[in-house]
Amino acid sequence: MTPMTDAPEPSRPALDEAKRGSAELLILALVEGEDLHGYDIARQIELRSHGTLRFTLASLYATLYRMEARGWIRGRWIERSGQRRRRYYRLTETGRRVLAEQRHDWARFVTALNRVAGVRPA
Amino acid sequence: MTTEPGRPGRKRPGADRPDLEGDREGHIEWRALVIRHARACGSDLSPSMVAELAAHLEDLYLTAVEDGASQVEARQAAEDALRRSPLDVLAAEIRRQARDPRVRSSDDLARAHERRSLAMLYAIRIAFRQFRTQPLFALLTVLVLGLGTGAAVTVYTVVDAVVLRPLPYRAPDRLVALWDSNAAKGLPHEPIAPVTFMDYRGLHAFSDAAAWWRPDVNLADPGLDPVRVKTVETSANLFAVLGVEPQLGGGFPQDGHLFSNDLAAVISAKLWRTRYGADRSIVGRQLKLNGSAFTVLGVMPDGFDYPGDIDVWERLSWNMAQHVREAHFMEAVARLRPGVDLNEARQEGIGLAGRLGRQFADSNGGWAYQFVPLLDDQLGYYRPALLVMFGAVGLLLVIGCLNVASLLLARALARDREVAVRVALGATRRQIVTQLLAESLVLSLAGIGAGLAFSAAALPIIVALTPVTIPRLSEAAISGRVLMFAMGVATTTTIGFGLVPGLVLLRRQLGSHLREGDRGTSRGSQRLYQALVVGEVALACALLMGSALLVRTVRQMTQAPSGVTADHVLLASVQLSGASYREWQKVADTQAVLLERIRQQPGVFAAGATIRLPFETGWRTAFFMNDVKPVQDTDAPQAQIMSVSDGYFEAMGARLVSGRFFSPQDTSHTQGVAIVNEAFVRRYAGGRAATDQRVTTAGQIGPLGVSLTAITLPDGYLKPQPAQIVGVVGDIPNAALGQPVEPTIYSPATQFPFRSMFFAVSARDETTAVMAVRRALHDVSPITPVGPTETWADRFGQRTAEPRVLMATLSAFGVLAAMLASLGVYGLFSWSVASRRRELAIRLTLGARPARIGALILEQGVLLVTIGLAGGWLVVHAARGPLATLLFQVSPNDPASTLTAAGLLMAASLAACLPAARRAMRVNPVEGLRSE
Repeated sequence: MTPMTDAPEPSRPALDEAKRGSAELLILALVEGEDLHGYDIARQIELRSHGTLRFTLASLYATLYRMEARGWIRGRWIERSGQRRRRYYRLTETGRRVLAEQRHDWARFVTALNRVAGVRPA
Repeated sequence: MTTEPGRPGRKRPGADRPDLEGDREGHIEWRALVIRHARACGSDLSPSMVAELAAHLEDLYLTAVEDGASQVEARQAAEDALRRSPLDVLAAEIRRQARDPRVRSSDDLARAHERRSLAMLYAIRIAFRQFRTQPLFALLTVLVLGLGTGAAVTVYTVVDAVVLRPLPYRAPDRLVALWDSNAAKGLPHEPIAPVTFMDYRGLHAFSDAAAWWRPDVNLADPGLDPVRVKTVETSANLFAVLGVEPQLGGGFPQDGHLFSNDLAAVISAKLWRTRYGADRSIVGRQLKLNGSAFTVLGVMPDGFDYPGDIDVWERLSWNMAQHVREAHFMEAVARLRPGVDLNEARQEGIGLAGRLGRQFADSNGGWAYQFVPLLDDQLGYYRPALLVMFGAVGLLLVIGCLNVASLLLARALARDREVAVRVALGATRRQIVTQLLAESLVLSLAGIGAGLAFSAAALPIIVALTPVTIPRLSEAAISGRVLMFAMGVATTTTIGFGLVPGLVLLRRQLGSHLREGDRGTSRGSQRLYQALVVGEVALACALLMGSALLVRTVRQMTQAPSGVTADHVLLASVQLSGASYREWQKVADTQAVLLERIRQQPGVFAAGATIRLPFETGWRTAFFMNDVKPVQDTDAPQAQIMSVSDGYFEAMGARLVSGRFFSPQDTSHTQGVAIVNEAFVRRYAGGRAATDQRVTTAGQIGPLGVSLTAITLPDGYLKPQPAQIVGVVGDIPNAALGQPVEPTIYSPATQFPFRSMFFAVSARDETTAVMAVRRALHDVSPITPVGPTETWADRFGQRTAEPRVLMATLSAFGVLAAMLASLGVYGLFSWSVASRRRELAIRLTLGARPARIGALILEQGVLLVTIGLAGGWLVVHAARGPLATLLFQVSPNDPASTLTAAGLLMAASLAACLPAARRAMRVNPVEGLRSE
């Protein structure tokens, strides 16, 4: 529904779809370890994917709000000393379950892709 | 943005940058950028989102600066990122979430809650404004609800204090009262005989049992006026059985003995305070009770007066095991053994009664035993009466609620168009329902507030003015439980009144929005409205039927023959006790002199004395006629014996059937004489004139009364002598109301004196009579106090006071309910005719006669009310069990009561239909068609 990437390269539909589907998994996985705010999340995804995965502000926050609405993550305004006020997102119990399910599903999906199309996890 | 770059080596954008702290302007600029861009995309973001996006941009900017970009380049990069973001997509996502109730985060819910609270407050303000423009509607609603809840809260408070609260004894639900009953003799509730009590005390089902009787006792203290005190002479374990300890002193020693020759007493806190000024040295002192010195062993706690208004508990001074089985005069309470339930105890009791009946056929044959839970026993009539009253007031409340609900429904249906406009203008369903809920909340709270205020004001008045003595009524006060009850009512009514019309409206809105000519004719809502009104009529009918039954009951009771015409006769209880009256002859002589002195007072017409007043039971003993003593005692017939003085029958206006009444010439030195009643003649005279026969009865009634004509044998046994029957008196009731008159033998008080008698004085007026008794006592026996005095009419009135109060309350509820139901019918038909103007106009245009239209409306009224009446009959039918215990010689299915109530309600309801029918007849066909 929301375009996930604003990568300047030509549109590649298959990749776009895969990115869209994986956005939630990526965010869940990132906030699993520590509470992160929106910019942190975007930057971590960009860094770790070496720039392959990028969000527009709109798609990032639309995804975050949707996930929050589903009760997977929970955002809280936190004012840490020496820092400006940021909205940090934390994984909820529901989110933890969803993450586990998505990891499982993606693992099966990638395995299937591998078997059928010879795609290997990077 | 006027910020400087952050320090090098920063791990996280935004961290450790005191230079940015408090830099509101820079922040505001990022926010302004976001807001501007959002508007350009045609979307509106919440302040929280704007803040979050602004923080993101700031982080982008700072990172770019840290990565070596110039401030201008960094700012450009952040602005580019924003420009590439279609914020309308974000706004669309938020809107989609708001529409989908399943996906709401707790943050959103909290915010929504806050919004809703604000919306509710706003709705409440609007509701107040609406009610100000329609004060009559609001006032009527609040009044109806206030009346309903006020009555309900008041009755609930009374029920709570009297019925629901446990008795203030240890494990009170384990206590049972013991009574004798004899179905063959029509005696359902009789005192128990002492020896039999001892057998029952031995039942395994009981851990212990105590028994007492109620002597008449005069209390004399030096320097104080002698007074009559309510006293029981009780087995020493009474307080232990109840689990109550004296507040002062040790009470009766619990050494396992039920009686002792050492005279001892415990007094009530009330007597201790009023007569002895709460003097703590009272314990150990001696009180003169009936002339004997009793040592005070304790003062009971405040409020304790078991078994009812008692001031002195004397310890039993005789052995119950060595008494007789025939004398039923003791009351008893037992505590169930742990682990034994009432039914097991009853089974064991039935077994024992059977054994005793076989073993002692003459005294125990036919007697069974009642074990009644103590609270039920103490409440007696009031338990069913209060429960019926509570049911009645509940019905009234429900009628009130139905009434308000139908008013609100009619109002809501009339606002159909308003709601349609609101919906068209974008009001959500929630807003509409919130508004209706707010209105009902305001009405409910106002109504219930009014009800509570009414109840708080009415309760003390009711407690003070009630003409009957309801146990524990004085403890009734609005409590937390009562408030909870009121809160429950408020919640239910608010939701019911707000939601039902709201849902009806919304259902209608689903079908039609702003369609013209579709007002208030939806079948569903009409059905609902009709059901509400039918419910009101049914409940009102049940209440009216109940009150009609009570009216009949009270009439039956007051019309029950009393055998006397003595409304203005004064009754004064006088007991000759103490050392001066040890001699029975002295007792008899003093009573005769007292009566003579009373008769001599100016204004006194007649005076006499009796041991039992009408409707009270005398002593039942065996007797035999004409000196023919039966071989077996068990073969002797039984009759009640009563002592009355000469002048008693005359003073009470009793009817002489044959022979003569007693005269002053009948003394202990003359021939023994007796008078019998008609019931005795019918049963025992054997067709011969009673006055030709002789009767021989007991020579003594325990320590209470003795025949002076009996001969004392050398072994101390009193051999009764035959008495010549000199007259037959018309039947005077001598059992409970409604029981047949038992055969009775009257002896003259001069020949068979009792120390405690009721003096009956017929005089010019009550004061004259009271003064006459006082003066005579003062002259003849100054140490004797005058006991309670009252007229026969008052005393007889008390027998009907309880049903009378119930009748008055139920009648008031019934009338109120009928009025509310009529109001409901009126509302229904007014609305129905208003919403059917078009249909009626078409009928009239097609040639229907106006009279036919009016009849149509009335027919519908009759049909609805008839359904309601049938429902009401069903309610009464369901409640016939508790109702039957409150009625006297009236069946719960009494046709006269049913028809009266139904007729009244039908008339009132049809009268309420008439205005609507008339309006229907006058519908102008042209206007009716145009109006839609």
